[in-house]
Amino acid sequence: MADILTIVVVGLYFLAMLGIGIWASKKIKNTEDYLVAGRQLGFWVFVLLMIGTVCSGMSLLGVAGLGYKAGWPTIWEQIFVPLSIGVCIIFFGVKLHNVARSAGYITVQDYLAHRYESPTALRSLSALAGIIVSLIYLVGQYTAISMVLIWLFDIPLWLALVIATLVTMAYTAIGGLYAVAWASLVQSVTLIIGVLVMAPIIIWKAGGFTAVNEFIATINPNLVMPWNPAGAFAPPYVVSFALLLGLGLACAPHVINNVLSIKDVKYFKWSPLIAFIIYAIVIFLLKFAGFAGLALVKGGAIAARTGVANPTDYVILDAIQNSLPTVALWAIFAVIVLAAVMSTTDRLMLTIGAMFSWDIYKNVLKPDADDKSVLLLSKIVVVLSAIGTMLLAINPPEMLAILIWMGIGTMLATFAVPLLAGLYWRGATREGALASMSLGLLAALLFGFLNYFKVNAMGIDFAAIPLHFSAYAFIISVLAMVIVSMLTRKTADKILDETQTGWYISK
Amino acid sequence: MFGLPDITIIAVGGVVLVITAALLYWGLTFKGHD
Repeated sequence: MADILTIVVVGLYFLAMLGIGIWASKKIKNTEDYLVAGRQLGFWVFVLLMIGTVCSGMSLLGVAGLGYKAGWPTIWEQIFVPLSIGVCIIFFGVKLHNVARSAGYITVQDYLAHRYESPTALRSLSALAGIIVSLIYLVGQYTAISMVLIWLFDIPLWLALVIATLVTMAYTAIGGLYAVAWASLVQSVTLIIGVLVMAPIIIWKAGGFTAVNEFIATINPNLVMPWNPAGAFAPPYVVSFALLLGLGLACAPHVINNVLSIKDVKYFKWSPLIAFIIYAIVIFLLKFAGFAGLALVKGGAIAARTGVANPTDYVILDAIQNSLPTVALWAIFAVIVLAAVMSTTDRLMLTIGAMFSWDIYKNVLKPDADDKSVLLLSKIVVVLSAIGTMLLAINPPEMLAILIWMGIGTMLATFAVPLLAGLYWRGATREGALASMSLGLLAALLFGFLNYFKVNAMGIDFAAIPLHFSAYAFIISVLAMVIVSMLTRKTADKILDETQTGWYISK
Repeated sequence: MFGLPDITIIAVGGVVLVITAALLYWGLTFKGHD
């Protein structure tokens, strides 16, 4: 379906991103500029960076795909993902920002190393865990980018992946967080306007909001209920889903590191509400577009996808193709999808670069490394992480959403407890944090594996466990923190005061 | 309403309202300072 106009539209978008990268590279003088944008981000750049960071490949393709497959019981995703921005800012951001200002943190690992008096062990474990979960998450993002390029240009998967990787890698590597933040501004505005215009067209084409709901209820009455009677998206699962998305995404390294980059803590006053409202509207519309896609397929207006590993994720692309009259509009929609995916992908790659170059290289392996070599290594790691995940994305999973939730679930089990306990519980110790993080990570990887491959072992059918697998790993992480902390030596009061540890958010 | 059962409207609408009210309260009461 590619024509010259499509190539021009997508080509212009890619050039704009590269232009932002080149412009941003002129602002980079040191590692702090590269990794936290010199702590100079303004209100709207920050709000749209947060939206762009949590709005991933799943947000356009996976959200609609899940709506198509399972209907209204999945709507909780559209509430808890926008809420995660507020959770991140309120429960982590306010304190971390204030302490980071005086202590000069570049990454959240700086905070963990300081709070738990563990400059080597916890910092390394945390950075390695962050790199692993970010890579899992990145695979899902590259899968989404390649799906759009294949749909638009009818090119082989490997070529789509190479194109997507080269462009995202180039502007992220040269421009650091300045480039990522300003690219996110453009990408988020593109996404918001695009979804506000195009999703209603798909819904209207399928007969309107009420007609779509009435139609899908005739297919299966559970599709319009707020939860399923049993299994996935039954009430217990929905509760674990709130924990997974609301807290897991909030403490994800690529999301939480953004709070270190703002100019003024007063931005935290209204950013939670504004980000929630804007993003909830966008992501609700996308889910409704997925319901409309189901009505269009079952009504015979469009054919169900065959011959691909993840057919439901293509529903919004096929619905757009059916609902919009010209190829030029498809190309614009493709740019919207690419914007959504790339806004997360770039931040993830930069986060991996930061965790390796700053936390592992500068703070563990070679403390006397100069700023220039750390900066260069950050850029090299961004390039390597892009190439590595591109290779992993060659075999996409059956459903994009599942892979991305696995990434978020691992983040929840690994980071939530050490961060929350560190910020709010003066009894949390270094050994407790190490036990909590390592056992949480291992449990999440194990349960994720057993669940994904539908293993039946020890009398348990892991494909049919009542909660999302990450909830079990999270419980293990909580228990490890509490039990081990109670048995080990307390952190010095001086450190607890410096890191503003205690049962309050802001004094 | 909207072709949906009442329970769906109440559950989803109720949770969205509670979250919005909580974030509004945060905005009205937060007095952040560096």
